[in-house]
Amino acid sequence: MTTLEVRGLTKTFHKIHAVDDVSFTLTAGRTVALVGESGSGKSTIARMIAQLVRPTSGEIALTGPDGEPVPRRRYRDNVQMIFQDPFASLNPFHTVEHHLARPLKLHGRPRTEVPHLLERVSLTADFAHRRPHELSGGQRQRVAIARALAPGAKVIIADEPVSMLDVSIRLGVLKLLARLQREENLAVLYITHDLATARHFSDEVLVMYRGRIVERGPSDDVLVRPQDPYTRRLAAAAPNPESRFSLGGQP
Amino acid sequence: MTWSPKLGAGLGLAALIVLFGLFGPLVTGDPATIRDIGLTPPGGEHLLGTTVTGQDILAQLAHATRGSLWIGLLVGVMATLLSGVFGIFGAYAGGAVDEVFSVFSNVMLVIPGLPLVIVIAGFVPPDQRGTGTISLVLALTGWAAAARVLRAQTLSLRNRDYVAAARVSGEKTWRVICVEILPNLLPILASQFVFAVVLAILSEAGLSFLGLGAANSSTLGTMLYYAQNGFALQREAWWWFVPPGLIIALFGGALALVNFSIDEIINPRLRDKARRRRDVVAVEAEVAPVEQDAVLTVRNLNVVYQATTPVHAVKDVSLTLRRGEILGLAGESGCGKTTLAYAINRLHRPPAEVTSGSVTFDDVDVLALGPEELREFRWVRLSMVFQGAMNSLNPVTPIRAQLQDVLRTHRPEMSAPDRELRCAEVLRLVGVDPARLGSHPHELSGGMRQRVMIAMALLLDPQVMIMDEPTTALDVLVQREILNEIKRLRDELRFAVVFITHDLPLLLELSDRIAVMRDGEVVEYATAEDMYLRPQHPYTRQLLASFPSLTGDAGALIT
Amino acid sequence: MNYYLRKAAFYLAALWAAVTLNFVIPRMLPGNPVDILMAKLQQRGGTVDPAARKAYETLLGTGGDGSVVQEYLSYLGNLLRGELGVSVSAFPAKVSDVIADSLPWTIVLVGLSTLLSFLLGVGLGALVGWKRGTWLDSLVPATTVLSAVPYFWLALILVALLSTSLGWFPLNGGYDVVLDPGWDGEFLGSAIYHGILPALTIVISSIGGWLLGMRNMMVSAMSEDYVLTARAKGLKNSRIMIRYAARNAVLPSVAGFAISLGFVVSGSIVTELVFSYPGIGSKLLQAVQNNDYALMQGIFLVITIAVLGANLAVDLLYGLIDARTRDRSAVS
Repeated sequence: MTTLEVRGLTKTFHKIHAVDDVSFTLTAGRTVALVGESGSGKSTIARMIAQLVRPTSGEIALTGPDGEPVPRRRYRDNVQMIFQDPFASLNPFHTVEHHLARPLKLHGRPRTEVPHLLERVSLTADFAHRRPHELSGGQRQRVAIARALAPGAKVIIADEPVSMLDVSIRLGVLKLLARLQREENLAVLYITHDLATARHFSDEVLVMYRGRIVERGPSDDVLVRPQDPYTRRLAAAAPNPESRFSLGGQP
Repeated sequence: MTWSPKLGAGLGLAALIVLFGLFGPLVTGDPATIRDIGLTPPGGEHLLGTTVTGQDILAQLAHATRGSLWIGLLVGVMATLLSGVFGIFGAYAGGAVDEVFSVFSNVMLVIPGLPLVIVIAGFVPPDQRGTGTISLVLALTGWAAAARVLRAQTLSLRNRDYVAAARVSGEKTWRVICVEILPNLLPILASQFVFAVVLAILSEAGLSFLGLGAANSSTLGTMLYYAQNGFALQREAWWWFVPPGLIIALFGGALALVNFSIDEIINPRLRDKARRRRDVVAVEAEVAPVEQDAVLTVRNLNVVYQATTPVHAVKDVSLTLRRGEILGLAGESGCGKTTLAYAINRLHRPPAEVTSGSVTFDDVDVLALGPEELREFRWVRLSMVFQGAMNSLNPVTPIRAQLQDVLRTHRPEMSAPDRELRCAEVLRLVGVDPARLGSHPHELSGGMRQRVMIAMALLLDPQVMIMDEPTTALDVLVQREILNEIKRLRDELRFAVVFITHDLPLLLELSDRIAVMRDGEVVEYATAEDMYLRPQHPYTRQLLASFPSLTGDAGALIT
Repeated sequence: MNYYLRKAAFYLAALWAAVTLNFVIPRMLPGNPVDILMAKLQQRGGTVDPAARKAYETLLGTGGDGSVVQEYLSYLGNLLRGELGVSVSAFPAKVSDVIADSLPWTIVLVGLSTLLSFLLGVGLGALVGWKRGTWLDSLVPATTVLSAVPYFWLALILVALLSTSLGWFPLNGGYDVVLDPGWDGEFLGSAIYHGILPALTIVISSIGGWLLGMRNMMVSAMSEDYVLTARAKGLKNSRIMIRYAARNAVLPSVAGFAISLGFVVSGSIVTELVFSYPGIGSKLLQAVQNNDYALMQGIFLVITIAVLGANLAVDLLYGLIDARTRDRSAVS
């Protein structure tokens, strides 16, 4: 089973601990949600796992299905990332096909798989020849997901994958991710500031505050019955119409 | 690419001059032939007249144009390559490389170019000053400005997610630069190249005019040099010195027009030429039946963006805001909610026009107000809080100036100490230390900036406050604080609020009544309770379902 | 690092680079300037003693013997003492004296014209941007073409039209030569009268750049949210235009001052030649034509120092008008 283990991960920018001694494990077939406010260090973790940012200390170890460590040069075959802003993560100059064919080629797969990839993210094959500005936000994010799948990745880091999308299509994209995760037996790290989707789309939740993980555990436990004071404040701060209208109660 | 008249004129003119330089020398004969018809004015056999030694000016002009264009091209290519290496590569490499390259470019930029070129040319003996040498020197002294522009642009592109995504896919560095970054720099590279060519032709002309140009070369600058030394000016032989300069000016002007068009491609804000002629199209003074207790009544309001295909952004919207009420306006991006809010205050930007309907504020027909009345109405009766507090505050002046502005304009009779007191008072109301009055916006956190905006909106005790996504850019804890603040202030000061957001649960919790908008229409308009418990429209139900509840059944969504 | 310290350090580095460039150029390029100079000096009846030769070698290179490091150090020493050598074209005047005589003319002419051009260009640019869609738009292509006109050619045209044909202005010179330079009204009046045409040349040629840059930034600034806020606040239009839109739009013009100043100075040098203006540009050309290397280098250094000084001043001003710069610690 593919696992990605993060041990004692630390990143210091200008003497400030953006990420401070963070450890967790991603396992195939499970989704871990990393929850926190902006500036809590969650995106830095994503970028360290995607090898875009070098950790100050700590390690990221990837183990293949055979239980053997995956060699460094095979790392990107297995670990891919979905970015927050689909309007920024696709190159406006290139077609959808370029965005998918390149990772396929780089990881030794035929570019004839492009239509298949598009199909897996519920887009038709004729999208291949379009350019990003011809797509809606949701379609772009589907292309970005297909790109992450192209190398045959088994670990997906999804950094706020729906926060820039219109509210009515967010769940659709999240459901797509959840379906792919089940079908492909992926290990997913779902980074978000939205506690509700974290609860519904993940098995385990890590709550980050100022670079540290302050609370962790099964998502129902952490988010419905939070123990840590910070998690409690977060949970209480989310808009909550239920309390206003339940049993005719007053706001 | 948009084909503007400017681009067409520029390219056409430049092409004509290039053709003249290319083919002119083939048909005009030998420019060096000396005749005994010195300084013949234009006409007859010599279309542009002759020089003091009787040489044909048209022939000279053709050869000189060719010479100048060749140097321009040579220098343009070299300077663009140099600026690319120092600007693009440096910025992409980052760290110490970028630091060194950038300091080097900036040093080259502040050392004045032509004096340096003159000194270099002065040291090189005239017989060794070839076209190549001169071009090299011009390129070496002329690349820095472009490098700075390219660096700034590359730094911004380098941090784009698509570059990060390419790296995550495993692309090699050179491929990221060449395939992912470079194509997006093309407009800028083109504009910098054009600029380098013009600059080179101008510099070379100056240098040759001083007698420091390439040996045995024939350019527009050398022509002017001979004209000056042949006392063309004193002899009033305008046909000798006017044409070469005119060619330079026209070519430079043509390329400048091309650059201007490239700028418009790069920066779309420069493109749309729409000018606000009117923001309201003759709306008949219809006295809307105003509900009891209503402070703001919108009746059948229509707003259209007058583009080539007009977009009907707000369709027949009718809303009523009662005193002290919080009205929620919900919808997704592009549904017209912001256009509607701006049209209430007539802040909608061209090409948007209010085509029909009415906005009544108490007894004021807002759409009928003259410009000065409208200005006096704004902020006194109705104030606004915008989404990006960072961008809503003027970045270069302290908070104090921006708050006092309002009082200076609308309460001119107020004394300076009173103004200061009032500003401090509203800051205290929203929980910001009045010592912050001296701060600039960038010194405040996002939440604090939004509080300052709310304080500003409170300054004149308006009856209505329009809030456009005031908490969307904020973290959830800060959002909660601000929402509590708004509720408290509303209860204390009794102003009414139009609260715009895509976050329906937030509105359900906060508002008295809610209007849900889609495609410019209000599809459902009800009290918060009705909308929560008995949503009527399918779109409302869809929106409600888009926000899973934190405490509801787990796993219900995954299908 | 503090913004002001960082700027000061940068300009020191730029100054060092210019001084070093000045030292390196004669050594790298072909030709033997020292011999040419000595020959010229002899022609003019100057003393050809070893000390004079040594001084020129320090400045221009020895052609083999002697350590470069030593030369460099004594070159720097000479600069610090203000010793730039003897000019052969104005023999027996010292380079520093030639420069001291001509520099004020250029500083006043170029300084005032640049300032005027900047203020006019930025002011008009703000207005053109603000009134977009009116007839003022036609100023944009017009000034674009003007900014592509070579300075010296425009000078020629202006002379041909306004001096030769109409006789409104003097053909050339910095003042009426029958007058003695001094601070009396007659001389100043003559100097101003002679300065109008050169100044007009510089202003017309350089105004387009400022105007276009400011106009484009103004258009961008006008779609910023803070301008919308200002409108919502019910402020008067003039106040929104000046305190909100123009106040922000002017920043890039100020930040780009360094680039533009380089062009203006370069253009002015050639313009001086057309007018035989008694400034430093004319002297530079005189030096080049007479192989007066010492004067050439001296003038290059002085121009560079003046430009660096002006840029430093503008950068410091920028720190004042944009608080964000002062607080940003990273090198930008």
